[in-house]
Amino acid sequence: MSHFTICRSFPRFCPFRNFSVALLAGVLVGLPLSTVSAQEAYKTPDYSKFPAESGPITLEVWTWVAGLDKAAALFEQAYPDIKVHVNNVGAGPAEYQKLQTALKAGSGGPDVVQIEYDFLPSFIVTDGLLDMAKYGANDAKSYFVPWTWGQVSPDGKTVYGIPQDSGPMALLYNKKIFDQYGLTVPTTWDEFAQQAEKLAQGSGGKVKMADFYTTNAPWMMGLVWATDGKYFKTSGDTWIQTLNGPESEKVLTYWDGLIKKKLVATIPGFTAEFYNAVGAGQIAASVEAAWGPGVTAATLNDRTAGEWRVAPLPQWSKDQPFRSGNWGGSCNAVTKQSKHPKAATLFSVWLNTAKGPVMNNWNSYGIFPTALAGLASPDLNQPDKDPSKFCGGQNVAEVYSQASNAVDVDFAWAPWFAFVNDNFNKQIEALIGGNATPKQALDAWQNESIKNAKGDGYEVKEK
Amino acid sequence: MRRHRNPALLFLAPFLTVFAAFYLAPVLYAIYLSLFIRRRVGIGPAKEVFGGLTNYLRAVQDTDFLNGLKNMFMFGVIQVPIMLGLAIALALLLDQSRGVFMKVCRTAFFMPYGIPTAIGALIWGYLYSPNLSPFNQVMGALHAGVINFLSPEVILFSIANIVTWTWTGYNMVTLFAALQNIPRELYEAARVDGATRWDIVRTIKIPLLMPTLKLLFIFSVIGTSQLFTEAFVLRPLGYVADNITPNLYLYLTAARDANYSYAGAMAILLALLIFVISGPLLRQIGSR
Repeated sequence: MSHFTICRSFPRFCPFRNFSVALLAGVLVGLPLSTVSAQEAYKTPDYSKFPAESGPITLEVWTWVAGLDKAAALFEQAYPDIKVHVNNVGAGPAEYQKLQTALKAGSGGPDVVQIEYDFLPSFIVTDGLLDMAKYGANDAKSYFVPWTWGQVSPDGKTVYGIPQDSGPMALLYNKKIFDQYGLTVPTTWDEFAQQAEKLAQGSGGKVKMADFYTTNAPWMMGLVWATDGKYFKTSGDTWIQTLNGPESEKVLTYWDGLIKKKLVATIPGFTAEFYNAVGAGQIAASVEAAWGPGVTAATLNDRTAGEWRVAPLPQWSKDQPFRSGNWGGSCNAVTKQSKHPKAATLFSVWLNTAKGPVMNNWNSYGIFPTALAGLASPDLNQPDKDPSKFCGGQNVAEVYSQASNAVDVDFAWAPWFAFVNDNFNKQIEALIGGNATPKQALDAWQNESIKNAKGDGYEVKEK
Repeated sequence: MRRHRNPALLFLAPFLTVFAAFYLAPVLYAIYLSLFIRRRVGIGPAKEVFGGLTNYLRAVQDTDFLNGLKNMFMFGVIQVPIMLGLAIALALLLDQSRGVFMKVCRTAFFMPYGIPTAIGALIWGYLYSPNLSPFNQVMGALHAGVINFLSPEVILFSIANIVTWTWTGYNMVTLFAALQNIPRELYEAARVDGATRWDIVRTIKIPLLMPTLKLLFIFSVIGTSQLFTEAFVLRPLGYVADNITPNLYLYLTAARDANYSYAGAMAILLALLIFVISGPLLRQIGSR
């Protein structure tokens, strides 16, 4: 009722009058209007706070994100003096190995580079990345999901990248298979295991409830993240690594139980083998990050399209506060080799906050936004486009937004993560082969990773 | 004498320049790099400081590296004889046969060599996928059980199979060419003396193939020490150990862990090892 008070003070020329009526109407009519106002309220940082160097500039951008060239074209329209050359140099490790080489060589690197959060520290310690705080990056902080900003600015001061996308986790399940075997959507891990038993009985063991990604450490680490576990910390001048904490053991023991009962498959992710099994209806559900449905849809090429749905990540108990973890996601960092650090900072901030590129990235490529305005925008939901189309028109973004809100902020990585990532595969192979218990596998993971880190000169402690 | 030396240098200059720039310089740079270690203070960036032979000491105590070398030796001892044995057998068979069939076979055996290693490994990777593998589908249909070609116990043999598939044809063609060079009169003379086909193979063909065979053996040994592509391409399909071959291990140390100095030290040690193994063999051929 406050608007009446205002208007009583300024009876005739109330500038708030029309606004108040609209607001009242909005409250009365409810959703449709609030949608409109949310659209109007798409908030972006004041880009004039990020002035670029003068003169014609060409930025070299390394990425593997499909469609980033389209987003870059939008940037060129907004800033005609800056040309952006997008170079797809391969995904993940393929790009990192080139970047690592360019940084070592001292030249040949890009201005802006795509880096996943878990790999960011390894480039910070090689002294290859610019502290973007020097160019005002902290002014953009409040426009991002807090935990994603924590990933690029672990100490809250220096900023080594602008978050682009994230991978909060949820349960992607095949509704057709669930209906066929009369399964209910599990909300807890206990229910998940019960439904897995039911599915195994109903299908004679032919259909697995899910897949344990045996060669994707960040997948399991995301589940541990959702269990409030942490792997890396710094304490003063020392790193602390705990790969074998109680939360890790809880998660791995749980999945090991499902594996031993043959209720879940153990196929390495992103292989023809995996997608073939999914497309053939041999896997009923999969714990997937926000980018997962989009990748699955694109890879299966419309096979099983529309059969899928997304549900919140199962929880350990019904009473706990809702939790999710993160798998993947990346940021745009600026290298120290850049001759146009200001323009590169502007590009990185604009790319990940402006509405055009943010919407374009999700609705065509499943790149889940880290910009708060992007997540709040109703335009995020496009039922006739993937990934929603793949999920029968469901508002997939809504489920993942909820997951994103439930991701713990203080989760950090270490510079030797690339080794940890590969060593995981070795230990899981031993676990599945029956040569190690979950505890032994985790201990070996911890010990071999610490040994490697120390060999490379890091000061690391356990716990 | 002086008048002769200068033109020689002039003619050698293009080769020597390229050799120095792309062979000697990287080797020297690797040696230089290998003498540094990283010092870290706290959690900040590392400093490269002179470490003498620290990296070399680390390498000879690194069980992963040593096991990689063990894999390499095992591979060489098993795969090289199988491949060369097959190549000899096929070359001798081709030498016996005539006409179109011989030509078709020769081309067919040689063809895998024409396929880029990475592509070949990708195709084999598909054939090795536990559930998609046609081998396993056939064996499953016969209730003979399935083999996980990508499991840690089998993977080295799976890689050996790819290498054999790629290189047998190449070795066969080289041996076949050497067989063509043997004067026909020798066979005639032997036949007049009452030699059987097998006698000819045993006493003429194989002894005369020996120089070529020795050379192929050295190439194969060196090739074994450089194994990389097959293992690297199969990696994303499942768990392939970092140290399945020494070259993969030192590549990961450099490109993944950004520890160029340690990788450099291991590369130098590996090169020395191969030098020690192949040196005497090469000398034997040269002195023939």
